[in-house]
Amino acid sequence: MVALARKTLVYEWRRFLPAILAVGFASLLQLLQAALVLGIFGSASVYITRSSADLWAGYPGTQSVNLGRPISEDVAMRLRMDPDVVKVEPFRWVDADWRGSRDTGGVSVFVSGIDARPDGMMFSRVLPLALRARLNEPGAVIVDEADLDSLGVSVGDSAAINGQRVRVVGVSRGLRALGGVNIVASLETARVLDIAPNDAGMMTYFIAKVRPGVKPAIVANRLNGSNAFGPYTVWTAKAFARESSLYWMFDTGAGAGVLFLAGIVFLVGSVITSQTLIAAVIGSIREYATLNALGVGRGSLRKVVLEQAFWVGALGLICSIVIGFILLAIARNRSVPMELNPLITIACLALSMALAIVSGLAAVRTLRRADPASLLR
Amino acid sequence: MPASVPASSATSVTLQARHVRKTFTSGHIESTVLHDLTLDVHAGALTLISGPSGCGKSTLLAILSGLQRADSGQVHALGHDLSHLGMRELESFRLQHTGFVFQGFNLFPALTALEQVELPLSYLGLPKDVVRKRAMDSLEEVGLGPRMKLLPAELSGGEKQRVAIARALAKQPELLFADEPTSALDAANGQIVIDILHRIARTHGTTVLCVSHDPRLVHHADRVLAMEDGRILSDHVPPSSPTNEPR
Repeated sequence: MVALARKTLVYEWRRFLPAILAVGFASLLQLLQAALVLGIFGSASVYITRSSADLWAGYPGTQSVNLGRPISEDVAMRLRMDPDVVKVEPFRWVDADWRGSRDTGGVSVFVSGIDARPDGMMFSRVLPLALRARLNEPGAVIVDEADLDSLGVSVGDSAAINGQRVRVVGVSRGLRALGGVNIVASLETARVLDIAPNDAGMMTYFIAKVRPGVKPAIVANRLNGSNAFGPYTVWTAKAFARESSLYWMFDTGAGAGVLFLAGIVFLVGSVITSQTLIAAVIGSIREYATLNALGVGRGSLRKVVLEQAFWVGALGLICSIVIGFILLAIARNRSVPMELNPLITIACLALSMALAIVSGLAAVRTLRRADPASLLR
Repeated sequence: MPASVPASSATSVTLQARHVRKTFTSGHIESTVLHDLTLDVHAGALTLISGPSGCGKSTLLAILSGLQRADSGQVHALGHDLSHLGMRELESFRLQHTGFVFQGFNLFPALTALEQVELPLSYLGLPKDVVRKRAMDSLEEVGLGPRMKLLPAELSGGEKQRVAIARALAKQPELLFADEPTSALDAANGQIVIDILHRIARTHGTTVLCVSHDPRLVHHADRVLAMEDGRILSDHVPPSSPTNEPR
């Protein structure tokens, strides 16, 4: 079979370039938008995703990790009693006000009081052991490198949280969160910083690890069975992380915004792509009509146009993947929160290919003008 | 009727039009392009329909080749009643039996001469090597063997028309239709093209029906039908026709 679609695409690449660019840009926009959304709203759950716990126990009905309320120490007992739970660790969340050494005004911060021992589960994925050990100094805190500016401090500087003196002993990466700046401290430091009188000594979450090979979801279900130890809910880490991200996405209305923008991108992309493909079909209309005169069926001609649309889509996708990866690498380097998972990537690429195919279908209609009788004069 | 069969009556009739009528409407004005036209066309001969523009000759070609439908009357091609075939069946009939050469060469700019010829062949469901061989043979036949790897942009007008003829010829059609095949060519190239069409009729036994207002072609045809106002005025064998010459 003569590869008419591909050869025409190569030979008349200038004609097809706008369509390829339109698909490429549409795809790139979708990918970057998805990456930003996943990155930004994914950072709502850094506490969960950067820690190695399998289960999170917190105040019943908590919709997002940053909305935790103090819970009873008895919940830790209940967790420890489960035969499949091998380790339980407290996590204390403190909403606080930061004053840096430079003139930055008040900054709303979230203090995470964590177990600073080397085998602690909280933030085990972002805190190297040496750095973690430094939290044991009274008043020691760790912040994200990218937050130093907004906090108005450098490593080694002192600052005040809720009026108490703290010192930045180190920086890490991957601690940035949504809604406020994350400050990591030891449980003891966090207790000192917590000035709310009614949660004195109360933890916000208890996180737990289950025996290897046991499904966390099964243990979570079992633990949620009774309230004998006071009110609490147990989530698997995965479920709680997702719940937190979704809460932010819909609470802020960003979810609807994303869908709206995706629709606009799709619309604009398909208008440009279909117009380009239609122009290409019209440019070859006499040749198509000749083929039809020679008995090549309309169906076969449609296939040629759709194949062209497919290749336009494929080339556009390749452009967007290459540029997208470069931009993602740059973003990661600059601590811009961008994340992509394979499923969302495939969904974005599939959407862009659908755009190309839909445009192809619009161009196919133009083939009706390929009337061989019109070639006779 | 003027459709008396001339000298070559021994050959079989492949195209038959009976009381064909075609009317076009534009706005409120109705114009009849073909008036109750009856005609037989024979295999192995080059039949030329000549006449001024607007006389209905191209419409007649379109109807005889199954590109357009008549309003009334019957058209038989190779024994098939074209007026009773659907769009798909007409396409399949054209694929199997007909070749076309148009005034514009209508070649895909991206394909080489060889690929232009292979393209319609590949839809016949032939094996790849047969397609290649047939395409090369017909390009050789029109004298383009050495230039079959070239793109249309690298070929002259005459060569492009020969590619278009090779494209029609490679299908080995029983019916070959040509609409003003020489209009866009100079005298020398027009001569080459009409000679090729004539040779195809003779050597392959193909029915070649050519529509043209080019008076130079008259002497190369086996039979000339003169049309005017949707009617055939005369049907004759031209004086210097190759048919009348000693072989």
